[in-house]
Amino acid sequence: MQETVVHADGEPARGEAREAAAAPQATRGRAIVITSGKGGVGKTTTTANLGAALAAAGAAVVLVDADVGLRNLDIVLGLEARVRHHVLDVLEGAVDVDGALVTDKRVPQLRLLAAAQTREKDDVDTEAFRDLVTSLRERFDYVLIDCPAGIEKGFANAIAAADEAIIVCTPDVSAVRDADRVVGLLGERRSVRLIVNRLRPALVRKGKMLSVDDVNAILHLPLLGVVTDAPDVIVSTNRGEPVALDAASAVGSAYREIAQRIAGTLTSSPEIPRERSFFEKLFGGRP
Amino acid sequence: MARRIVITSGKGGVGKTTTTANLGAALAQRGHRVVLVDADIGLRNLDLVLGVEKRIVFDIVEVVEGRCQLRQALIKDKRIENLSVLPAAQTRDKTAVSELQFANVVSQLAELCDFVLIDCPAGIEHGFRNAIAGAGEAIVVTTPEVSAIRDADRVIGKLHERGLPIRLIVNRLRPEMVRSGDMLSVDDVTDILSAELLGIVPDDEEVVDSTNRGEPVVLRAESRLAVIYDKIVRRLEGELVPFTTFGAPSLFARIFGKAS
Repeated sequence: MQETVVHADGEPARGEAREAAAAPQATRGRAIVITSGKGGVGKTTTTANLGAALAAAGAAVVLVDADVGLRNLDIVLGLEARVRHHVLDVLEGAVDVDGALVTDKRVPQLRLLAAAQTREKDDVDTEAFRDLVTSLRERFDYVLIDCPAGIEKGFANAIAAADEAIIVCTPDVSAVRDADRVVGLLGERRSVRLIVNRLRPALVRKGKMLSVDDVNAILHLPLLGVVTDAPDVIVSTNRGEPVALDAASAVGSAYREIAQRIAGTLTSSPEIPRERSFFEKLFGGRP
Repeated sequence: MARRIVITSGKGGVGKTTTTANLGAALAQRGHRVVLVDADIGLRNLDLVLGVEKRIVFDIVEVVEGRCQLRQALIKDKRIENLSVLPAAQTRDKTAVSELQFANVVSQLAELCDFVLIDCPAGIEHGFRNAIAGAGEAIVVTTPEVSAIRDADRVIGKLHERGLPIRLIVNRLRPEMVRSGDMLSVDDVTDILSAELLGIVPDDEEVVDSTNRGEPVVLRAESRLAVIYDKIVRRLEGELVPFTTFGAPSLFARIFGKAS
Protein backbone atom coordinates (compact mmCIF):
# COMPACT_ATOMS: atom_id res chain seq x y z
CA MET A 1 0.00 0.00 0.00
CA GLN A 2 2.96 2.30 0.47
CA GLU A 3 3.63 4.81 -2.22
CA THR A 4 6.87 4.50 -4.06
CA VAL A 5 9.06 7.52 -3.60
CA VAL A 6 11.60 8.05 -6.30
CA HIS A 7 13.95 10.97 -6.16
CA ALA A 8 14.52 13.49 -8.88
CA ASP A 9 17.78 11.82 -9.78
CA GLY A 10 15.92 8.57 -10.41
CA GLU A 11 17.43 6.80 -7.42
CA PRO A 12 14.95 4.86 -5.33
CA ALA A 13 14.51 6.07 -1.78
CA ARG A 14 16.79 4.19 0.53
CA GLY A 15 14.08 2.83 2.81
CA GLU A 16 12.55 0.90 -0.04
CA ALA A 17 14.50 -2.32 0.09
CA ARG A 18 13.88 -2.49 3.79
CA GLU A 19 10.16 -2.06 3.42
CA ALA A 20 9.98 -5.05 1.17
CA ALA A 21 12.08 -7.06 3.60
CA ALA A 22 10.06 -6.11 6.65
CA ALA A 23 6.47 -6.64 5.55
CA PRO A 24 4.52 -6.90 8.79
CA GLN A 25 3.03 -10.29 9.61
CA ALA A 26 -0.68 -10.13 8.98
CA THR A 27 -1.82 -11.69 12.23
CA ARG A 28 0.00 -9.39 14.57
CA GLY A 29 0.01 -5.74 15.45
CA ARG A 30 2.77 -3.46 14.23
CA ALA A 31 5.58 -2.17 16.42
CA ILE A 32 6.77 1.23 15.22
CA VAL A 33 9.55 3.23 16.85
CA ILE A 34 9.48 7.01 16.53
CA THR A 35 13.07 8.21 16.61
CA SER A 36 15.34 11.05 15.45
CA GLY A 37 18.79 11.14 17.04
CA LYS A 38 18.47 14.79 17.89
CA GLY A 39 16.23 15.76 20.75
CA GLY A 40 13.46 18.30 20.67
CA VAL A 41 12.46 17.70 17.06
CA GLY A 42 9.02 16.41 18.05
CA LYS A 43 9.25 12.66 18.65
CA THR A 44 6.95 12.69 21.67
CA THR A 45 4.44 15.06 20.08
CA THR A 46 4.45 12.89 16.95
CA THR A 47 3.97 9.70 18.97
CA ALA A 48 1.05 11.18 20.91
CA ASN A 49 -0.66 12.58 17.83
CA LEU A 50 -0.22 9.55 15.61
CA GLY A 51 -1.43 7.33 18.45
CA ALA A 52 -4.47 9.54 19.03
CA ALA A 53 -5.28 9.71 15.32
CA LEU A 54 -4.92 5.94 14.80
CA ALA A 55 -7.04 5.20 17.86
CA ALA A 56 -9.68 7.76 16.92
CA ALA A 57 -9.94 5.96 13.58
CA GLY A 58 -10.75 2.74 15.42
CA ALA A 59 -7.42 0.95 15.89
CA ALA A 60 -6.31 -0.45 19.24
CA VAL A 61 -3.15 1.48 20.09
CA VAL A 62 -0.65 1.37 22.92
CA LEU A 63 2.02 4.06 23.29
CA VAL A 64 5.20 3.05 25.08
CA ASP A 65 7.47 5.73 26.56
CA ALA A 66 11.05 4.47 26.27
CA ASP A 67 12.57 7.59 27.81
CA VAL A 68 13.23 6.17 31.27
CA GLY A 69 14.36 8.96 33.58
CA LEU A 70 13.09 11.78 31.36
CA ARG A 71 9.58 10.74 30.51
CA ASN A 72 7.25 13.22 28.84
CA LEU A 73 4.72 11.28 26.80
CA ASP A 74 2.36 11.22 29.80
CA ILE A 75 2.44 15.04 29.96
CA VAL A 76 1.83 15.51 26.25
CA LEU A 77 -1.20 13.21 26.53
CA GLY A 78 -2.39 14.91 29.71
CA LEU A 79 -2.28 11.60 31.58
CA GLU A 80 0.48 12.37 34.09
CA ALA A 81 -1.84 12.46 37.08
CA ARG A 82 -3.15 8.99 36.27
CA VAL A 83 0.15 7.11 35.92
CA ARG A 84 0.43 4.61 38.77
CA HIS A 85 2.92 2.10 37.40
CA HIS A 86 5.53 2.14 34.68
CA VAL A 87 7.49 -0.07 32.30
CA LEU A 88 10.05 -1.07 34.91
CA ASP A 89 7.32 -2.14 37.35
CA VAL A 90 6.08 -4.48 34.63
CA LEU A 91 9.54 -5.75 33.65
CA GLU A 92 10.41 -6.38 37.28
CA GLY A 93 7.13 -8.20 37.93
CA ALA A 94 5.75 -5.73 40.48
CA VAL A 95 2.56 -5.43 38.45
CA ASP A 96 1.16 -7.10 35.34
CA VAL A 97 0.98 -5.10 32.15
CA ASP A 98 -2.74 -4.37 32.47
CA GLY A 99 -2.09 -2.85 35.85
CA ALA A 100 0.31 -0.38 34.27
CA LEU A 101 -1.63 0.65 31.16
CA VAL A 102 -3.43 4.01 31.41
CA THR A 103 -6.53 4.35 29.25
CA ASP A 104 -7.11 7.68 27.58
CA LYS A 105 -10.62 8.85 28.50
CA ARG A 106 -11.04 10.86 25.30
CA VAL A 107 -10.09 7.95 23.06
CA PRO A 108 -10.58 4.67 24.96
CA GLN A 109 -8.82 2.74 22.19
CA LEU A 110 -5.63 4.55 23.20
CA ARG A 111 -3.45 3.36 26.06
CA LEU A 112 -0.19 4.53 27.55
CA LEU A 113 2.58 2.54 29.15
CA ALA A 114 4.62 5.18 30.96
CA ALA A 115 8.36 5.20 31.57
CA ALA A 116 9.84 5.29 35.06
CA GLN A 117 10.90 8.81 36.01
CA THR A 118 13.27 8.11 38.87
CA ARG A 119 15.21 5.26 37.28
CA GLU A 120 17.90 4.97 34.60
CA LYS A 121 17.86 3.56 31.09
CA ASP A 122 20.58 1.13 32.14
CA ASP A 123 18.00 -0.48 34.46
CA VAL A 124 16.03 -1.71 31.45
CA ASP A 125 17.01 -5.10 30.11
CA THR A 126 16.85 -4.83 26.33
CA GLU A 127 15.71 -8.44 25.84
CA ALA A 128 12.94 -8.13 28.43
CA PHE A 129 11.79 -4.86 26.88
CA ARG A 130 11.68 -6.52 23.48
CA ASP A 131 9.60 -9.38 24.89
CA LEU A 132 7.19 -6.91 26.47
CA VAL A 133 6.65 -5.10 23.16
CA THR A 134 6.21 -8.43 21.40
CA SER A 135 3.51 -9.43 23.88
CA LEU A 136 1.77 -6.06 23.38
CA ARG A 137 1.75 -6.72 19.63
CA GLU A 138 -0.44 -9.73 20.24
CA ARG A 139 -3.13 -7.51 21.76
CA PHE A 140 -2.89 -4.18 19.95
CA ASP A 141 -3.00 -3.14 16.31
CA TYR A 142 -0.22 -0.64 16.91
CA VAL A 143 2.56 -0.40 19.46
CA LEU A 144 4.17 3.03 19.04
CA ILE A 145 7.46 3.42 20.88
CA ASP A 146 8.60 6.92 21.80
CA CYS A 147 12.40 6.79 21.60
CA PRO A 148 14.64 9.02 23.74
CA ALA A 149 17.09 11.44 22.13
CA GLY A 150 20.59 10.20 21.49
CA ILE A 151 21.96 6.84 20.45
CA GLU A 152 22.81 5.32 23.80
CA LYS A 153 21.16 2.51 25.78
CA GLY A 154 17.70 4.09 25.66
CA PHE A 155 17.86 4.13 21.87
CA ALA A 156 18.99 0.51 21.74
CA ASN A 157 16.06 -0.48 23.98
CA ALA A 158 13.52 1.48 21.96
CA ILE A 159 14.46 0.07 18.57
CA ALA A 160 14.99 -3.52 19.71
CA ALA A 161 11.43 -4.72 19.19
CA ALA A 162 10.37 -2.46 16.33
CA ASP A 163 10.39 -3.60 12.74
CA GLU A 164 9.24 -0.25 11.46
CA ALA A 165 10.73 3.14 12.23
CA ILE A 166 9.55 6.67 11.69
CA ILE A 167 12.29 9.27 11.60
CA VAL A 168 11.19 12.72 12.75
CA CYS A 169 13.43 15.44 11.39
CA THR A 170 13.26 19.24 11.43
CA PRO A 171 14.57 21.20 8.45
CA ASP A 172 17.93 22.17 9.90
CA VAL A 173 21.40 20.83 9.28
CA SER A 174 22.00 19.44 12.74
CA ALA A 175 18.74 17.48 12.85
CA VAL A 176 19.42 16.11 9.36
CA ARG A 177 22.91 15.00 10.28
CA ASP A 178 21.68 13.25 13.45
CA ALA A 179 18.81 11.63 11.54
CA ASP A 180 21.27 10.34 8.95
CA ARG A 181 23.34 8.72 11.68
CA VAL A 182 20.25 7.08 13.17
CA VAL A 183 19.10 5.74 9.79
CA GLY A 184 22.48 4.06 9.53
CA LEU A 185 22.13 2.54 13.00
CA LEU A 186 18.61 1.24 12.28
CA GLY A 187 20.12 -1.19 9.82
CA GLU A 188 18.65 -2.79 6.75
CA ARG A 189 15.96 -5.02 8.17
CA ARG A 190 13.54 -2.30 9.25
CA SER A 191 11.14 -0.22 7.22
CA VAL A 192 12.15 3.41 7.73
CA ARG A 193 10.00 6.39 6.76
CA LEU A 194 10.32 10.12 7.27
CA ILE A 195 8.24 12.90 8.80
CA VAL A 196 9.58 16.41 8.26
CA ASN A 197 8.43 18.40 11.26
CA ARG A 198 8.16 22.13 12.04
CA LEU A 199 8.48 23.31 8.47
CA ARG A 200 8.04 27.05 8.08
CA PRO A 201 7.11 27.52 4.42
CA ALA A 202 7.67 31.28 4.62
CA LEU A 203 11.28 30.75 5.75
CA VAL A 204 11.86 28.13 3.06
CA ARG A 205 10.68 30.56 0.42
CA LYS A 206 13.06 33.21 1.72
CA GLY A 207 15.89 30.69 1.53
CA LYS A 208 16.32 30.75 5.29
CA MET A 209 15.25 27.18 5.98
CA LEU A 210 15.98 23.85 4.29
CA SER A 211 13.14 22.59 2.11
CA VAL A 212 11.66 19.10 2.34
CA ASP A 213 13.61 18.23 -0.81
CA ASP A 214 16.85 19.51 0.76
CA VAL A 215 16.25 17.27 3.77
CA ASN A 216 15.43 14.24 1.72
CA ALA A 217 18.31 14.79 -0.72
CA ILE A 218 20.44 13.69 2.24
CA LEU A 219 18.19 11.15 3.95
CA HIS A 220 16.65 9.43 0.89
CA LEU A 221 13.66 8.07 2.79
CA PRO A 222 10.04 7.48 1.76
CA LEU A 223 8.15 10.56 2.92
CA LEU A 224 5.26 9.87 5.26
CA GLY A 225 4.25 13.48 5.80
CA VAL A 226 5.15 17.08 6.49
CA VAL A 227 4.00 18.99 9.56
CA THR A 228 4.28 22.77 9.71
CA ASP A 229 5.48 24.75 12.70
CA ALA A 230 2.45 26.06 14.55
CA PRO A 231 2.00 27.66 17.97
CA ASP A 232 -1.03 25.47 18.65
CA VAL A 233 1.35 22.52 19.10
CA ILE A 234 3.06 24.25 22.03
CA VAL A 235 -0.31 25.09 23.52
CA SER A 236 -1.59 21.55 23.06
CA THR A 237 1.56 20.11 24.67
CA ASN A 238 1.24 22.38 27.68
CA ARG A 239 -2.43 21.45 28.01
CA GLY A 240 -1.94 17.74 27.37
CA GLU A 241 -4.42 17.66 24.47
CA PRO A 242 -3.07 16.18 21.23
CA VAL A 243 -3.91 18.46 18.26
CA ALA A 244 -4.81 15.39 16.20
CA LEU A 245 -8.05 15.27 18.20
CA ASP A 246 -8.88 18.85 17.21
CA ALA A 247 -10.92 18.65 14.02
CA ALA A 248 -10.32 22.35 13.30
CA SER A 249 -6.52 22.25 13.54
CA ALA A 250 -4.46 22.22 10.33
CA VAL A 251 -1.58 20.51 12.11
CA GLY A 252 -4.05 18.02 13.53
CA SER A 253 -5.21 17.27 10.01
CA ALA A 254 -1.60 16.68 8.91
CA TYR A 255 -1.22 14.11 11.70
CA ARG A 256 -4.50 12.43 10.77
CA GLU A 257 -3.30 12.07 7.17
CA ILE A 258 -0.01 10.58 8.29
CA ALA A 259 -1.94 8.11 10.44
CA GLN A 260 -3.98 7.14 7.38
CA ARG A 261 -0.78 6.60 5.38
CA ILE A 262 0.55 4.38 8.14
CA ALA A 263 -2.71 2.43 8.15
CA GLY A 264 -2.61 2.21 4.36
CA THR A 265 -5.99 3.89 3.92
CA LEU A 266 -4.43 6.90 2.21
CA THR A 267 -2.09 6.22 -0.69
CA SER A 268 -1.58 9.66 -2.21
CA SER A 269 1.85 11.24 -1.81
CA PRO A 270 2.10 13.77 0.99
CA GLU A 271 1.56 17.35 0.00
CA ILE A 272 4.46 19.66 0.74
CA PRO A 273 3.10 22.85 2.32
CA ARG A 274 4.44 26.00 0.77
CA GLU A 275 3.73 29.62 1.24
CA ARG A 276 1.74 31.35 -1.43
CA SER A 277 3.84 33.78 -3.37
CA PHE A 278 3.03 37.45 -3.51
CA PHE A 279 1.40 37.06 -6.92
CA GLU A 280 -0.64 34.08 -5.83
CA LYS A 281 -1.89 36.04 -2.84
CA LEU A 282 -2.65 39.02 -5.05
CA PHE A 283 -4.42 37.12 -7.78
CA GLY A 284 -5.93 34.43 -5.60
CA GLY A 285 -3.98 31.53 -7.09
CA ARG A 286 -4.17 28.28 -5.22
CA PRO A 287 -1.27 27.57 -2.87
CA MET B 1 42.91 28.03 35.72
CA ALA B 2 39.92 28.48 33.47
CA ARG B 3 36.29 28.30 34.50
CA ARG B 4 34.78 25.03 33.30
CA ILE B 5 31.10 25.36 32.51
CA VAL B 6 28.81 22.60 31.24
CA ILE B 7 25.75 23.63 29.19
CA THR B 8 23.05 21.03 29.77
CA SER B 9 19.26 20.56 29.76
CA GLY B 10 18.05 16.98 29.94
CA LYS B 11 15.68 17.46 27.04
CA GLY B 12 17.15 17.72 23.57
CA GLY B 13 16.52 20.46 21.08
CA VAL B 14 16.11 23.25 23.61
CA GLY B 15 19.21 25.06 22.35
CA LYS B 16 22.25 23.73 24.21
CA THR B 17 24.53 23.76 21.18
CA THR B 18 23.33 27.16 19.95
CA THR B 19 23.81 28.56 23.45
CA THR B 20 27.29 27.07 23.74
CA ALA B 21 28.37 28.52 20.39
CA ASN B 22 26.97 31.97 21.08
CA LEU B 23 28.23 32.27 24.66
CA GLY B 24 31.63 31.07 23.48
CA ALA B 25 31.74 33.57 20.63
CA ALA B 26 30.51 36.40 22.88
CA LEU B 27 33.09 35.60 25.56
CA ALA B 28 35.87 35.50 22.95
CA GLN B 29 34.71 38.82 21.50
CA ARG B 30 35.15 40.29 24.96
CA GLY B 31 38.76 39.14 24.96
CA HIS B 32 38.60 35.86 26.87
CA ARG B 33 40.39 32.80 25.58
CA VAL B 34 37.66 30.21 25.07
CA VAL B 35 37.62 26.52 24.18
CA LEU B 36 34.31 24.81 23.35
CA VAL B 37 34.10 21.05 23.83
CA ASP B 38 31.49 18.95 22.03
CA ALA B 39 30.55 16.09 24.36
CA ASP B 40 27.95 14.64 22.00
CA ILE B 41 30.04 11.78 20.65
CA GLY B 42 28.22 10.08 17.77
CA LEU B 43 25.81 12.97 17.21
CA ARG B 44 28.10 15.97 17.09
CA ASN B 45 26.69 19.30 15.93
CA LEU B 46 28.70 22.08 17.54
CA ASP B 47 31.05 22.03 14.53
CA LEU B 48 28.10 22.67 12.19
CA VAL B 49 26.70 25.50 14.27
CA LEU B 50 30.16 27.13 14.25
CA GLY B 51 30.70 26.37 10.57
CA VAL B 52 33.99 24.51 11.13
CA GLU B 53 32.80 21.04 10.09
CA LYS B 54 35.06 20.85 7.04
CA ARG B 55 38.15 21.68 9.08
CA ILE B 56 37.97 18.77 11.54
CA VAL B 57 41.09 16.62 11.46
CA PHE B 58 41.14 15.02 14.92
CA ASP B 59 38.50 14.64 17.60
CA ILE B 60 38.23 14.10 21.35
CA VAL B 61 38.29 10.31 21.06
CA GLU B 62 41.59 10.47 19.18
CA VAL B 63 42.97 12.77 21.87
CA VAL B 64 41.94 10.35 24.59
CA GLU B 65 43.35 7.39 22.69
CA GLY B 66 46.66 9.20 22.34
CA ARG B 67 46.53 9.30 18.56
CA CYS B 68 47.13 13.06 18.48
CA GLN B 69 48.11 15.92 20.74
CA LEU B 70 45.32 17.89 22.37
CA ARG B 71 46.46 21.08 20.61
CA GLN B 72 46.30 19.35 17.21
CA ALA B 73 42.63 18.55 17.68
CA LEU B 74 41.64 22.12 18.51
CA ILE B 75 40.11 24.06 15.62
CA LYS B 76 40.60 27.81 15.75
CA ASP B 77 37.69 29.93 14.61
CA LYS B 78 38.83 32.14 11.74
CA ARG B 79 36.34 34.92 12.49
CA ILE B 80 36.94 35.35 16.19
CA GLU B 81 40.33 35.37 17.77
CA ASN B 82 40.61 33.36 20.99
CA LEU B 83 37.83 30.90 20.12
CA SER B 84 38.63 27.21 19.54
CA VAL B 85 36.57 24.05 19.45
CA LEU B 86 37.40 20.46 20.34
CA PRO B 87 35.05 18.35 18.20
CA ALA B 88 33.39 15.11 19.21
CA ALA B 89 33.88 11.95 17.16
CA GLN B 90 30.97 11.22 14.82
CA THR B 91 31.40 7.52 14.13
CA ARG B 92 32.00 6.33 17.69
CA ASP B 93 29.72 6.12 20.68
CA LYS B 94 29.77 7.82 24.04
CA THR B 95 31.35 4.93 25.87
CA ALA B 96 34.55 5.49 23.83
CA VAL B 97 35.52 8.04 26.50
CA SER B 98 35.28 7.46 30.25
CA GLU B 99 34.28 10.09 32.80
CA LEU B 100 37.84 10.24 34.10
CA GLN B 101 39.30 10.65 30.61
CA PHE B 102 36.82 13.37 29.82
CA ALA B 103 37.58 15.23 33.04
CA ASN B 104 41.30 14.96 32.24
CA VAL B 105 40.84 16.54 28.83
CA VAL B 106 38.83 19.38 30.36
CA SER B 107 41.45 20.10 33.01
CA GLN B 108 44.22 20.11 30.38
CA LEU B 109 42.18 22.59 28.33
CA ALA B 110 41.65 24.69 31.44
CA GLU B 111 45.41 25.30 31.52
CA LEU B 112 45.29 26.80 28.03
CA CYS B 113 42.42 29.26 28.29
CA ASP B 114 40.03 31.30 30.45
CA PHE B 115 36.75 29.49 29.76
CA VAL B 116 36.03 25.88 28.82
CA LEU B 117 32.39 25.49 27.73
CA ILE B 118 31.16 21.91 27.47
CA ASP B 119 28.22 21.19 25.15
CA CYS B 120 26.37 18.32 26.83
CA PRO B 121 24.32 15.76 24.86
CA ALA B 122 20.58 15.32 25.53
CA GLY B 123 19.59 12.76 28.11
CA ILE B 124 21.13 11.67 31.39
CA GLU B 125 23.13 8.68 30.25
CA HIS B 126 26.87 8.13 29.80
CA GLY B 127 27.32 11.21 27.59
CA PHE B 128 25.77 13.40 30.28
CA ARG B 129 27.98 11.92 32.99
CA ASN B 130 31.05 12.57 30.83
CA ALA B 131 30.06 16.15 30.13
CA ILE B 132 29.58 17.06 33.78
CA ALA B 133 32.63 15.12 34.98
CA GLY B 134 35.14 17.92 34.45
CA ALA B 135 32.83 20.89 35.02
CA GLY B 136 33.01 23.35 37.89
CA GLU B 137 29.68 25.03 37.20
CA ALA B 138 26.58 24.43 35.10
CA ILE B 139 24.23 26.38 32.88
CA VAL B 140 20.86 24.69 32.45
CA VAL B 141 19.04 25.67 29.26
CA THR B 142 15.29 25.20 29.20
CA THR B 143 12.37 26.33 27.09
CA PRO B 144 9.10 27.47 28.71
CA GLU B 145 7.41 24.14 28.07
CA VAL B 146 6.21 21.64 30.63
CA SER B 147 8.26 18.77 29.22
CA ALA B 148 11.50 20.75 29.01
CA ILE B 149 11.02 22.00 32.58
CA ARG B 150 10.38 18.53 33.91
CA ASP B 151 13.59 17.28 32.28
CA ALA B 152 15.53 20.32 33.52
CA ASP B 153 14.28 19.61 37.03
CA ARG B 154 15.62 16.07 36.84
CA VAL B 155 18.99 17.31 35.58
CA ILE B 156 19.22 20.00 38.26
CA GLY B 157 18.77 17.26 40.85
CA LYS B 158 21.70 15.37 39.37
CA LEU B 159 23.86 18.51 39.23
CA HIS B 160 23.06 19.24 42.88
CA GLU B 161 24.32 15.78 43.80
CA ARG B 162 27.64 16.81 42.27
CA GLY B 163 27.60 20.12 44.13
CA LEU B 164 27.81 22.16 40.93
CA PRO B 165 26.55 25.77 41.05
CA ILE B 166 23.65 26.09 38.60
CA ARG B 167 22.31 29.00 36.60
CA LEU B 168 19.40 29.02 34.23
CA ILE B 169 18.84 30.29 30.69
CA VAL B 170 15.21 30.38 29.57
CA ASN B 171 15.39 29.96 25.81
CA ARG B 172 12.89 30.52 22.97
CA LEU B 173 10.50 32.64 24.96
CA ARG B 174 7.56 33.92 22.93
CA PRO B 175 6.39 36.99 24.87
CA GLU B 176 3.11 37.25 22.94
CA MET B 177 2.24 33.67 23.93
CA VAL B 178 3.10 34.40 27.56
CA ARG B 179 0.78 37.39 27.46
CA SER B 180 -2.05 35.36 25.95
CA GLY B 181 -1.58 32.74 28.66
CA ASP B 182 -0.44 30.09 26.19
CA MET B 183 3.14 29.87 27.43
CA LEU B 184 4.71 29.71 30.86
CA SER B 185 6.42 32.93 31.94
CA VAL B 186 10.04 33.20 33.06
CA ASP B 187 8.80 33.61 36.64
CA ASP B 188 6.82 30.38 36.34
CA VAL B 189 9.96 28.60 35.13
CA THR B 190 12.30 29.96 37.80
CA ASP B 191 9.68 29.27 40.51
CA ILE B 192 9.43 25.61 39.49
CA LEU B 193 13.15 25.10 39.09
CA SER B 194 14.25 27.47 41.88
CA ALA B 195 17.55 28.19 40.20
CA GLU B 196 19.29 31.50 39.67
CA LEU B 197 18.42 33.13 36.35
CA LEU B 198 21.32 33.88 33.99
CA GLY B 199 19.44 34.95 30.89
CA ILE B 200 16.27 35.08 28.85
CA VAL B 201 16.51 34.52 25.09
CA PRO B 202 13.44 35.15 22.93
CA ASP B 203 12.44 32.83 20.10
CA ASP B 204 13.88 34.21 16.89
CA GLU B 205 13.73 32.68 13.43
CA GLU B 206 17.17 34.12 12.77
CA VAL B 207 18.62 31.20 14.75
CA VAL B 208 17.45 28.61 12.19
CA ASP B 209 19.24 30.42 9.41
CA SER B 210 22.34 31.05 11.48
CA THR B 211 22.60 27.34 12.37
CA ASN B 212 22.26 26.32 8.74
CA ARG B 213 24.97 28.80 7.75
CA GLY B 214 27.31 27.93 10.60
CA GLU B 215 27.43 31.52 11.73
CA PRO B 216 26.53 32.20 15.38
CA VAL B 217 24.08 35.12 15.69
CA VAL B 218 26.43 37.04 17.97
CA LEU B 219 28.60 37.63 14.90
CA ARG B 220 25.76 39.57 13.31
CA ALA B 221 26.15 43.10 14.60
CA GLU B 222 22.55 44.01 13.86
CA SER B 223 21.11 40.98 15.63
CA ARG B 224 18.95 41.61 18.67
CA LEU B 225 20.11 38.25 20.01
CA ALA B 226 23.74 39.44 19.90
CA VAL B 227 22.85 42.08 22.48
CA ILE B 228 21.14 39.48 24.65
CA TYR B 229 24.04 37.01 24.56
CA ASP B 230 26.44 39.85 25.34
CA LYS B 231 24.41 40.63 28.48
CA ILE B 232 24.47 36.98 29.53
CA VAL B 233 28.22 36.88 29.13
CA ARG B 234 28.63 40.01 31.23
CA ARG B 235 26.56 38.34 33.95
CA LEU B 236 28.91 35.36 33.70
CA GLU B 237 31.79 37.77 34.29
CA GLY B 238 30.04 38.90 37.47
CA GLU B 239 28.53 42.17 36.30
CA LEU B 240 24.99 43.00 37.50
CA VAL B 241 23.10 43.47 34.26
CA PRO B 242 19.34 44.09 34.47
CA PHE B 243 17.09 41.62 32.67
CA THR B 244 15.10 42.69 29.65
CA THR B 245 11.49 42.21 30.68
CA PHE B 246 9.98 40.52 27.66
CA GLY B 247 6.84 39.79 29.62
CA ALA B 248 6.26 43.49 30.33
CA PRO B 249 2.77 44.93 29.89
CA SER B 250 1.91 45.88 26.35
CA LEU B 251 2.26 49.44 25.15
CA PHE B 252 -1.51 49.79 25.33
CA ALA B 253 -1.57 48.69 28.95
CA ARG B 254 1.25 51.05 29.85
CA ILE B 255 -0.38 54.05 28.20
CA PHE B 256 -3.74 53.45 29.78
CA GLY B 257 -2.34 52.25 33.06
CA LYS B 258 -4.14 48.91 33.03
CA ALA B 259 -2.76 46.30 35.35
CA SER B 260 -1.82 43.23 33.35
